[in-house]
Parts: sequence; C-alpha cells; structure tokens
Amino acid sequence: MTDTTVTTERAEERAGSSAEPLLAVRNIVQEFESRGPGGVKEGVIHAVSDVSFDLMPGETLGIVGETGSGKSTLARAVIQVERPKSGTVMFQGRDLTTVRHRDLKKVWANFQMVYQDPFGSLNPRWRIEDVIAEPLVSHTRLTAGQRRERVRELLELVGLRPETYLRRRPMELSGGQAQRVAIARAIALDPAVIICDEAISSLDVLIQAQVINLFETLRRELGLSYLFIAHDLATVKQVSDRVGVLYLGQLAEIGPSEEIYRAPRHPYTKALLDSVPGLDPDTGVARRPVTLKGDVPSPLDPPSGCRFRTRCPFAQDVCAERAPVLEDMGPGHQVSCHFPLDDQGLPTRGHPLSRQALDVATG
Amino acid sequence: MSVVGTSVEQSAPRGGVGDRPVLSVEDLRVTFTRHGRRIRAVKGVSFDVQRGRMLAIIGESGSGKSVTVRALMGLLPPSAAVSGSAVLDGRQLVGMSDKQMRRVRGMNISMIFQDPARSLNPTMSVGAQIAEAVRTHQQVSRPQAAERVLELLRLVRMPAPEKRVHQFPHQLSGGMRQRVVIAIALASEPDVLVADEATTALDVTTQAQIMDLLVDLRERLGTAVVMISHDLGLAASYADEVMVMYAGQVVERAPTQTLFSNVRMPYTRALVEAIPQISHPSHTLLSVVGGHPPDPGRPVQGCPFRPRCAKADDTCLTAPPLDMHEPEHSYACWHPVTGHEVPVAAAPAAEIPGGTR
Amino acid sequence: MAVTEAPAAAVVAVPAPDVLDPERGSLRWAGIRRRLVLGIPLGFVALLILACFVGPLVLPLHPPVGGDILNSALPPGSPSHPLGTDINGNDVLSRLLHGGQSSLLVAISVNLIGLVVGGGIGALSGYAGGWVDNVIMRVLDVFIAFPSLVLTIAIAQALGPSLPNTILALTAFSIPAVARVARSATLRIKTMPFVQAAELSGSPAWRILLRHIAPNITPQMLNFAMLGMGIVIVTEGALSFLGLGIPAPNPSWGNMIYEGQQSMSATPLLVLWPSLALLATVLSFNLLGENIRDEMSGR
Repeated sequence: MTDTTVTTERAEERAGSSAEPLLAVRNIVQEFESRGPGGVKEGVIHAVSDVSFDLMPGETLGIVGETGSGKSTLARAVIQVERPKSGTVMFQGRDLTTVRHRDLKKVWANFQMVYQDPFGSLNPRWRIEDVIAEPLVSHTRLTAGQRRERVRELLELVGLRPETYLRRRPMELSGGQAQRVAIARAIALDPAVIICDEAISSLDVLIQAQVINLFETLRRELGLSYLFIAHDLATVKQVSDRVGVLYLGQLAEIGPSEEIYRAPRHPYTKALLDSVPGLDPDTGVARRPVTLKGDVPSPLDPPSGCRFRTRCPFAQDVCAERAPVLEDMGPGHQVSCHFPLDDQGLPTRGHPLSRQALDVATG
Repeated sequence: MSVVGTSVEQSAPRGGVGDRPVLSVEDLRVTFTRHGRRIRAVKGVSFDVQRGRMLAIIGESGSGKSVTVRALMGLLPPSAAVSGSAVLDGRQLVGMSDKQMRRVRGMNISMIFQDPARSLNPTMSVGAQIAEAVRTHQQVSRPQAAERVLELLRLVRMPAPEKRVHQFPHQLSGGMRQRVVIAIALASEPDVLVADEATTALDVTTQAQIMDLLVDLRERLGTAVVMISHDLGLAASYADEVMVMYAGQVVERAPTQTLFSNVRMPYTRALVEAIPQISHPSHTLLSVVGGHPPDPGRPVQGCPFRPRCAKADDTCLTAPPLDMHEPEHSYACWHPVTGHEVPVAAAPAAEIPGGTR
Repeated sequence: MAVTEAPAAAVVAVPAPDVLDPERGSLRWAGIRRRLVLGIPLGFVALLILACFVGPLVLPLHPPVGGDILNSALPPGSPSHPLGTDINGNDVLSRLLHGGQSSLLVAISVNLIGLVVGGGIGALSGYAGGWVDNVIMRVLDVFIAFPSLVLTIAIAQALGPSLPNTILALTAFSIPAVARVARSATLRIKTMPFVQAAELSGSPAWRILLRHIAPNITPQMLNFAMLGMGIVIVTEGALSFLGLGIPAPNPSWGNMIYEGQQSMSATPLLVLWPSLALLATVLSFNLLGENIRDEMSGR
C-alpha cells in the first residue's frame, strides 16, 4: 500500500487549517550554570532570553544566528529535549513544557530533528534499514515486513535506491547519503514539524544544493513545516517563508523573508546581510562584505539594555538604559530596536543620523 | 569565443609581466597507498603565486586541494609519494628533508588551519606561543621577542594587545584566536601564507573581519596568500586569482573577474548555480547536479566530471588537457559552457542510484 | 626576509617513481605486520586455553597432587617428567597445566562477571544521570577507595580459601573498576546525536541502552577486560601465594610460585615455570585487548 495518497491528504489538511499556529512558543528562557575550574559556580549563561514566535502549518521558519545566539539551544528547548527554565510551547492544545517525560516520547512522534553531523546522528553499528525503522518500532504496530516496506518507500522518497542502501552501514556512505538517511528517518512517522539544526553546513556545496532541493520536495509532498536553523543567510532565505534573527539569545527581528532581506529593520540584520560575500551568478560580480566591528559579547555577561549596542553603529544612550521590546512593523513582522531602520537603512524615531536629521543638517 | 585559440603548454610561465612568481608549482602529484590500494589524491597540479597576490583554490571534498598545500608544506605522512616540482623563492620543496623543511616552514611558508582552537596550545598563554614562533627562526633575546609579539598583535589588529599577551586561548573569542594563529604564522614574515579553510569555522561577521585582515596584510607586507576554500563567494570577493580543483586535478583557472564573468568548466558552472542566492525567492529549487565526486582510490577514464556532466559525450572519455584557451583563462574541457547556459536542469534532488564510496 | 642560503641542489623536478606497485615493498610488509600483531597474541591465548583445558584430558600426565616424595626435585628432561618434579614429587608440567586451568578459570569468570554486572551498572548510571548516578557512584567509590589487594584479601579471609570464593573476592574490585570505565564511555556516547535521535524516535531507555549504548562502548570494555585478565591472574596469584586463594595442594600459578620461592636456591626452575607462564599470559591478553579495540573501532 502506497502512502502517497494518505500523505497528500495530510498535506492538504495541514495547509488548510492555516489560521491557527501549529506551534506557539512564548517567552522561552534557557540558562545554564557555568562552572569554573574545580566546579565552582562562576555565573549564569543566558543562552535564550525571552524568545517567542509562532510556526504556522506548512510554513518554513528560518532561524538565523551566529555563535552565542542560542539558536540550537532554542530548538532543544522548544521540543523539550532540554527543559527550558521558563516559557510555554503550545502544540495541539497542550503546553509541552508541562508534559511529563514519559508522555513526551509520544509527542515526539510529531517533531523530528535533522542534525549537523550526518554521521553523528546515525549509530555506526546499525544497518541503514534498522536506523530508519527505529521510530516505526517505537510508535507503530507494524510487522517487520510492513516496516521494511515503509523503509523502502522512505528511501525512495529521499532519492536513495533501497536495494543498494538497505543493508549498508553508515560508514560506507558519503556525507550527503548519510544525511538523506537521517532525513528518511525523520519523515518516517510523518511528523508535523522537522527541525533542521545546521543540517547542511557540513556538506559539500553541490550536495548542499541537492539536500536543499530534497527538503523543498518533501515539504510539498508531505506538507511539512520546518524550523530551519542555520548561520548562512542566503540558504535560510531561500528555504524559508519567514526568518527570525537571533542575537545573543534574543530575537532581533522576525518577519517574511522577502521583507527582511529587502529592507532589514534591525541594525544587526543589516550588518549580517552586509557581511555575506555575494557572487552574482550571471555577471560574475562579487560584492565584498562590509565588516562589523567588535566581537560577540559573552552570554555570561550580556550588555545591559539592548544586547547589540556594543557593536551597533547607531547606538545611543537609551540603548544602554532600556532594553527594546519586539514591536510590530507590519503583518507578521516584528523588530526589537529603539531606532528601527527605514528602507534606506537609516535609523528612525528621532535618531541623530535619521533621514530627517540629515535633511535638516544639510538644509 | 574560439575554444581552440593558442594552446599554451602547461609549463609556460603565467602571471604578471616580468614578475617572477614567489611560488611555482609544476605537475605536482601525490599518491597514497592504503590497504593495498593506490589513492591518487593529486594528479598533476601546476600553478604560480605572485608576490602580494591572493590565489584561491576552490574545491569540494576529495578535490585534493588540502593535500596539494600540505605536500608543499611537507605535512603529509611518510606513506605519501610526492613528485613534481614546487619552487619557493628558488628552493625546491619536493623531496626536501624533514630538517630542511622545518626551517622553510614558518620562515618562508606558513599555514593557518580551520579550527583556531585546535591550533593553539590551551595550556600556554597566547603571548608565549607567539614568542615561541618568533624565537624558532630568529635569534633574539627575550625582551626583543616580547616587543615583536606586541608588534605582531598590532599587525593583526588585536584589540588591547598588552592585555592579550597574558591571556589563554579559551579566554579569547574565535575571531581573536584566529588572529593569534595568523600572528604566529607571520612571526618570521614568510613569503607565502596558506589559509586552509581558515574562516570556515568562524561566524560570517568574524569571517569578514579576518578576510579584511588578510587583504591588508597582503598589501602591507607583500605576503602572497593561498586561500583554500569551498566558498566561491568568498573567493570571488577577495582573491585575485581562482583555481578550481576536481578529483585531484585543476579544471579551471583564471583571474577572479575573468573566471566568474565567463565560467567555462561545467563543474565550476554547477558550483556557481548551486549557491543559494539572497535574490532567490523562497522555496526556489536550485539547479543541481546529481551524484558525487569520484573515489580517489578508483581510476577514472577520461574527464573525471564526465559521469555527472550534462554536456559529456564520448570525446570526454579522453581526458581533456588543461590549456589556456583564452587569455589568462585555462580550463580542461572539450565542451565548455558558453554564455549563461546552465549545464543541468533545475530538478529535485537526484542521486545517482547505487553510487558507492 | 629571505635567508641567504644556497638553494637545495638545482631546481629540478622530482620525477614520479616508475613503479608505485602496491604489491611490493612497504605495503605488503604492513599487511603482514598487521596480521602478525593480531595473530600472535590471539594464537598464544588460544594455545594456552587449549593446553590448560584440553591438555590434561588428552596428554598422559601424572596427577598434579599426591606425588611420591621419593621423586622429589627431579630435573627437567627426566623420563615421563618433561619439566621435572617439585619438592613434593609432583610433576611440574601437570601442575602447570592444571594450575593454569584454575588461574584462567578465575580470570575469565571474574572478568565476565565484571563486564556484565559492572558494565551494566556503569552504563545505567551514566545514562540515567541525576540522583541515580550519584548514589551508584558513591557506593562504588567506597569500593574503589580500598586498595584493591587489601579488599580482596579481607574478603578472601572472611570467606575462606576455595575457587568460588576467590572468584567472588576478585569481583569485588573488578566490578567497580569496570563500572567506572563503562560510565565514562557511556557519558561520551550519550552526547552523540544518534542517541538523541533515538530518544526523539521514541525508543525506551532499555532499548537505547541495549542497542545503542552497549554496542558502542563494547570495544573499550573489551579492551579493559583484557587488561583485567592480566591483573586478575596476578592478583589471584598473590592470593594463592598468601594461602588465601586456591587451597594447597591444588595447584595454581600463584601457589606454585610460593612453593618454588621457598626452595629457590636449590631449585630455581620451580619458580621460573609458573612465572614465565604468568608473564606470557598477561602479555598476550594485554596485546589482544589492544588489538581488539583497534579492530573494532575501525582503526
């Protein structure tokens, strides 16, 4: 029995109920204790500080951030692999933070994760067939024969010939093939959400493109929603409907990908965009990045007020005194900044370098 | 554009007018033997590096780019058989004894690696490690070395150098650590600096800072930089010349602007098409070529890219030579790409069935 | 900047070697060496086990006890006594093989129990974490805190000398040691993404321990067990030497060394045979352990 009819139904079903968010994440806070030598408690790492977002059904939400942004920690806190210190995660009417560990295993049938290291996520001693069948063993009552059928289907869905790969072990595969196996396992239970945590960063360029296309194809065929975490802006933009930009554990900006890239409102978003070396495939013209000064502050001791102020070219006194909050800038678009940028990249709201101020100055 | 043109011999000098290259590599070959199999990692690579210029070597896994530069530095295991010629400032590097290589390394040619955390000794202060590099090649007193350490830290634009000297690697950020690594590499002012994926592990913002630094150093010290990367965008933005490697061979080489405005080799074209662009709308399917690079342990007939190339035919069973078909632009292909044709269709992820390692 | 030094010879290219034949030279030797390195200790261990367990059944040996005093201290090469006799008139070869039986039996039992029980406790502790881990570790710490020999002697003393009691006493220090190693190996494996992926797939803890953790800590554990073989044999020897292990007159390499030591000036060979046997055995097991670990972790 082919499951394609079932899955397309599911896909339509999912896309249909678009009013309600699939996942409503509110005020997630995650902190870790930092211990110095000898185990003495040194301080608190503020990995994620008050992050909220919605994931709509059938949507791909990209999360972009650099080192110390807390993006991977956020993902783990959302699916409760690590319980967040506070905050709520509403899924299908339940708050996942209150679900007990033994019940979580059932909830996890709806959430799967694809990791950065394709080999690390596969048990080196298992055969591919067993790797992909594992979620089926835990969650379904299929017989061994039925499972094998399903595994074959899944392998074909991800572009691997079942006859060749069923009996192989991970060490016999290339990085791209191993990642496809990981994806096959992730879709085995037809989950609602797949979290891709830097899922393509360690693959070769051409293979990355193959896997990105695979994600897109699966999204259409199975009606998946993705939480796509990466540090590469262009990749994130290409696969996402909306993008959230994380800096030092906080959301700087979140909104439709087209808008974010066309007219970023947060100075960090703009700086990130400017830092990417760009190559125009048609003309061959390359754009040299504009460098952002300074280093990311330590999450042990984040700056007061706005955390980006130590590197922000537009920082003012108020930025150190008061932390900005997420404000609406348009449908589905929010920014956390005292002086959000306008379409020309100049700060607004009475900033000394704003368009108005400059106009006045130049007369 | 005529493909035939003047076919220039591989060994003819390239590069600037009257400028002798500081590093000249001819027909470099590296072969490993492992478990009874011969693995031809590098199959005849030639290139020149001019003083004060940046050459980017682009390739994916198995292209042989890292092996090539490690062969130059003498960093390959004894089981590697290296042949060919690599002349650095008048010295033949291939076949050099370990002892001689030790002197050349650091003095004339230095290398920085991908992970700065692994290149630095976690138990030694940063200043001590730079001082060690200084004193390895020059007979200087301690106070002189200390001065030089500060000088180097300023050279690599380290904020608050006096403070950093006593700090340990774990107290520094990734970008700062990479600056320390660069300072160590430059301690004896080498002629050539090799950066092997030196910014891959860094954030985009830090990457921009470090690349800026390398450009600056190139201009100020005249150091030639060989940058190994898989990131075409990076190469396009910073390098003077780009060399693309595939399966142990050079498949295309040209000055940056020339290459990217007129990509000829289908593989290079595929690489360019595979990069996600910010200009693409959401949910774009990329033009993708299926399969994966050939196993270096298996012999390949003809052009190594043939199994994956949409333009391949029987003539490709004979390996195309790397010739300078156009001014300053060499490539190894019988059916080069012209204009903006894309050698592959925009297709969902295709995997060559049964492709094995 | 450039050092004024004569360039190395002429700037000449190094020609590619004519033949890079993998059949010749260093490669073949490497293959042979690998097989030797694995084969020799394996072969010796196999030979040892064969000799000690099958030998006495097959070879026409004198019984290891109850020899005639009149035959005492015969030199090696004597008729029907290839290695001679000891001071009580017992055939040395026979005692050596029977003694080996006891020693090996103890070593194998102790390590097997240690692997299963200790490995299980350690893996469980490492995987569970939290208070379970703490409690188990503190209990094990108590055992580890005792100098192993002292602990073993105390237990053996309390229980009395016999083969089963010796095994029991030795497991007291084998189990905590193995548990420690198993726990740290488990902690390392636990952080790997495939364990997380297994949890996300909904696999229950017992299946994760059995099918994910166990197969991946096995190489390390086996290696440790092999090292343990040597340690246990030597400790058993010490126990028997002190009269607490295998009770006399039943032979074990330990008590043979004890008895031989008493008449060392007169009959030094009596100490030599069991000592050599001990040395060769411990060495072989150690080498075997390392090789197994290397092979299993894919070099």
